[in-house]
Amino acid sequence: MISQIIISFFQIIIILALAPLLSGIIKKIKAFFQIRKGASVFQPYYDIAKLLRKDSVVSENVSWIFHAAPVISFAAVLTAGLIVPVFISDMPFSFAGDLIAVIYLFALARFFTALASLDAGSSFGGMGGSREMFVASMVEPALMLSIFAVALNVGSTNLSQISQIVSAMGLSAISPYHLLAFVAFFIIAIAETGRIPVDNPATHLELTMIHEAMILEYSGKQLAIVELGAMVKQLLVFSLLANIFFPWGIANDVGFVNMAIALIVFLIKIIVLGALMAIVETSTAKWRLFRLPDLLSVSLMLSFLSIVSFIIVKGG
Amino acid sequence: MEEVIFGSNIMQLFIALILVSTFMILGSTRLYSCVRAFGIQSFLLASVAGVVALSTGKIDIYIVAILTLAIKSILIPYIFIYIIREIKVKREIALYVGISPSLIIGGILVVISYYLIRSINVITDLSSFALSASMSLVSIGLFIMISRKKAIMQMLGILIMENGLFLGAISLTNGMPLLVELGIFFDVLIGVLIMGILIFRINKTFETIDTDMLKNLIG
Repeated sequence: MISQIIISFFQIIIILALAPLLSGIIKKIKAFFQIRKGASVFQPYYDIAKLLRKDSVVSENVSWIFHAAPVISFAAVLTAGLIVPVFISDMPFSFAGDLIAVIYLFALARFFTALASLDAGSSFGGMGGSREMFVASMVEPALMLSIFAVALNVGSTNLSQISQIVSAMGLSAISPYHLLAFVAFFIIAIAETGRIPVDNPATHLELTMIHEAMILEYSGKQLAIVELGAMVKQLLVFSLLANIFFPWGIANDVGFVNMAIALIVFLIKIIVLGALMAIVETSTAKWRLFRLPDLLSVSLMLSFLSIVSFIIVKGG
Repeated sequence: MEEVIFGSNIMQLFIALILVSTFMILGSTRLYSCVRAFGIQSFLLASVAGVVALSTGKIDIYIVAILTLAIKSILIPYIFIYIIREIKVKREIALYVGISPSLIIGGILVVISYYLIRSINVITDLSSFALSASMSLVSIGLFIMISRKKAIMQMLGILIMENGLFLGAISLTNGMPLLVELGIFFDVLIGVLIMGILIFRINKTFETIDTDMLKNLIG
């Protein structure tokens, strides 16, 4: 009982500590590919620390939603962090929800961010909110389908069980449906973390931004929470990708050595995924908003295909 | 023997990747990326043949695999790129059906071909994945021929159909006699050359390779 509480605490601390680092690493790798020197990998920590020291400037027209939204989004994302396996597959809170809960917690966070973007009544906020919802309407079904393809294979929607069983299967888990679902999920991860073909995280050019436009009205401490929430969400999406599709090396039971190894393996996995993301970001240009359905329907079709091929291979 | 080969994990992976490359062709709007995806597809097909050759040890299939690699994944894409460069065609492909609907139709075609293959019921789970993949390749190739306006894409569509037939043949028979395969390769190569010349002629006469324009009467 106590060990489980400690593990949960530890997981939250790890997530909070690693999330800005991941952001910084991706930025650094991107800078490397663009032959720049780039900011230090710890820059996101400095940014958040700086923002936390500043006061917020709030428009006098906003309602309580504007104040509540960052907190609710952040809490929703962190709650998802209690369910997503990061370094130990047997999550203490796995009884509380499965992958559907994670998807809806992300949706809750997104919903409140979009509401807050409308609340201040600025034109950019509304534009960002509507775009975010437009993208989300295509991301969420694809996300569900692609994880369901793996869940079908394993026979459970519980994330802890999925990663346990897949890691127990070893290399024999690599199958057509696994591969197709992985490709589909990778495209979704690009959209979900707001990376380049979908959204540009580095831009402040008003007409192209999605996430940045939504949080344009925030400043100071609230902005720090919003930014940290986005980074945590990115880390969680990456660890979903890592621990559902290739969970090998994750600790299946409580034990100091196991967990230490699992943590190192996890770090390597997300750095590799981050490098992949950075390569995608450097080699593609931002797409026109109305071409995004094409990309996302590729992902939707791949996850659909993955389920179909599961049925074909298993001779359903 | 066939069960062992086509039920194996590596084979299924290759076949899944072939399906992915087919969807890459369906999902891209650039001629070059379509041709590149076709090259990848043919390369994967050659790998499938290579795996069959490894597990059966027949020298014929090795030759077929190497020929597939040389002709379909190197020579034919090269001819395509040569044609695209020579007639200075616009890089974007024109469509009758948009990208998202065509992807969805592609998915439906995969399901339909699976049910068709299952209803044949001749071979049960022997190579049903490979067979339904080959059937879907044929139908998606046909769909690409119907839904794309550029003559080059119609050429590509027929080659995808041919790839599907190749996959079906190799999964059903474990490699056809070398003589038959050689004949098919020769046919494909000559077909591509003739179609290429035809596209040059179409371009010379109509100053476009948009097949939509072929319907217009010219006095």
